[in-house]
Amino acid sequence: MHLTGYFLQRLIRGLVTFWFAVTVTFFLVRLLPGDPVLAVAGPGMTEEIRQTQLELYGLDRPLAVQYFAYLRELVQGNLGVSFLRSQPVSQVLMERLPWTLLLTGSALLLTVILGVPLGVLAATRARGWVDQVVQITGVVGQSLFVPSLGILLLYTLGLMLGWFPIGGAVKSGLTGVSYYLSVVHHLILPSFTLVLAQLASYVLTLRATLIEALGEEYCDLARAKGTRENKVIWKHALRNALLPTTTLIGLQIGFLVGGAVLTETIYAYPGVGRAIYEAVGQLDFPVLQGAFVLLAATVVIANLLTDIAYGLLDPRVRA
Amino acid sequence: MTMTNTSTTAPTLAPADLKPAQRTWRAFRRNPLGMGSAAVILIMVLIALLAPLLAEFPSGYGIEILMPPSAAHPFGTDDLGRDVLAQVIWGTRISMIIGFASSFLAILIGVALGILAAYAKRLDAPISMMVDVSLALPVLPLMILVAALVGPSVTTLVVVIALFSWPEVTRIVRSQALSVTRLPYVDAARTIGGSHFWIMTRHLLPAVAPIIVVSVVLTASRAVMSEAGLSFLGLGDPESWSWGKILFNAQRSGALTVAWWCTLFPSLAILLLVVSSTLMSIAYNDARNPKTREN
Repeated sequence: MHLTGYFLQRLIRGLVTFWFAVTVTFFLVRLLPGDPVLAVAGPGMTEEIRQTQLELYGLDRPLAVQYFAYLRELVQGNLGVSFLRSQPVSQVLMERLPWTLLLTGSALLLTVILGVPLGVLAATRARGWVDQVVQITGVVGQSLFVPSLGILLLYTLGLMLGWFPIGGAVKSGLTGVSYYLSVVHHLILPSFTLVLAQLASYVLTLRATLIEALGEEYCDLARAKGTRENKVIWKHALRNALLPTTTLIGLQIGFLVGGAVLTETIYAYPGVGRAIYEAVGQLDFPVLQGAFVLLAATVVIANLLTDIAYGLLDPRVRA
Repeated sequence: MTMTNTSTTAPTLAPADLKPAQRTWRAFRRNPLGMGSAAVILIMVLIALLAPLLAEFPSGYGIEILMPPSAAHPFGTDDLGRDVLAQVIWGTRISMIIGFASSFLAILIGVALGILAAYAKRLDAPISMMVDVSLALPVLPLMILVAALVGPSVTTLVVVIALFSWPEVTRIVRSQALSVTRLPYVDAARTIGGSHFWIMTRHLLPAVAPIIVVSVVLTASRAVMSEAGLSFLGLGDPESWSWGKILFNAQRSGALTVAWWCTLFPSLAILLLVVSSTLMSIAYNDARNPKTREN
């Protein structure tokens, strides 16, 4: 009952966020110096294309009229035309989106799988040497520049040791099981780059909330009842400590997407991020704008899913 | 991040007549991590200021291409035979300028909006919503779009990074200022007829000042990373060197697969600056907090 209200509220928030993203892009593109047609047709456009785009978006009409025309096109999935590929931007990007989702999704999953035990280890040995190591590594880990990390992994594990391929997402000409194995093989380095870049803040947050939770009265009560410490940690404290980290994941998705742009550039991974890098080099503005809108939508949806997970995990949300 | 107790010095009770700032400084001075980080940052600032004296501006072509580190070129040379050490030194300059300028701008906007949101009840909801919404968006792709449209230059980078970095500052400042607006002395200031502007600048601003100090350092280090990211994607100022641009050159020319020195040294420079900034702000926080200070 209350859960529906909570989800509805989150849904509206997600829609507002996306609307804000779209609106900001619209006005930035038009108020900044430069020809606004550039943002939907690219610099190499012919006069004919310029005229079509001018008419389509009504760029000679008042800003408000233009704005609604832009929203109308957007709702229909029209993000303009990539001039260099003479393909609709939505088509160019939708081919690439699955790879980015695979990369960021796997990185997120691995962060949680590795982060939970590390956080528990640091919290239960608070002030011990394991904890000290985790904290110092954590500070350094939070300061890692994604391309630096990516280049380091690529150079050592990819080039010197030759364990992993150094670019691309899959070897061509493969089918069946070997296709999927190749996908995983190509995914490992880029995914780990993203995991290492964000693992630190996840572990440090979990450590802090877990230490707090372990000092709560309900944990003392569980101990007083004779519950083993392991059970107190994993069954009682961790369940509560995981909730704030769920929120953190939501916040980190935006960072993760930015990291994906940089990682895909290094590993020539054929996702949306690599498309952004290529579009920067060719000044393909429609692709840049479309990519931001698409990534913003992805982040909003991912956040919505985290919120729903939060609502299901935390009974207090329903009360 | 709670790296308390990094200082192991025996507790010495500060004389009661010391000002809070002096007490903070006394505690900060005793923390080796904090002082070390401050020294590293100071050295980097000096390198940035003295770049023209330390190395020649790397330009043109050399004959010794892709040479590993040697006595003549301690950091090696790149694919056009340019000295990597010189690039890192000149890169320090641009990375620092952009880091500090954009964090200054971001803090200015962030603090103003944060205090306004905390003080003016009617503005709180819209400002907070704007902050929440912008924090949820993928900032890097947005920065890329704007920087590409305006055309890359140092000014563009500063403005673009500042434009998308203030929400974090606003969020922190607002929550701190909010707790102060409920204190009796703010009511007292209002009762004696103080103007809104006077209350905000004279009573709220000093209360959030320590937060601002931490923010300057952290926002600047994050701005350095943003600059490096944008430059790495080819949106750096075409006229000057920055750490991100060295990485971009290595990536574009393919040097990164053959010459580790082209990417290692600028990477270390970024890491060193960001780690020092983080440690320094942790040490400052510990020094400022009476609970951790007396330990």
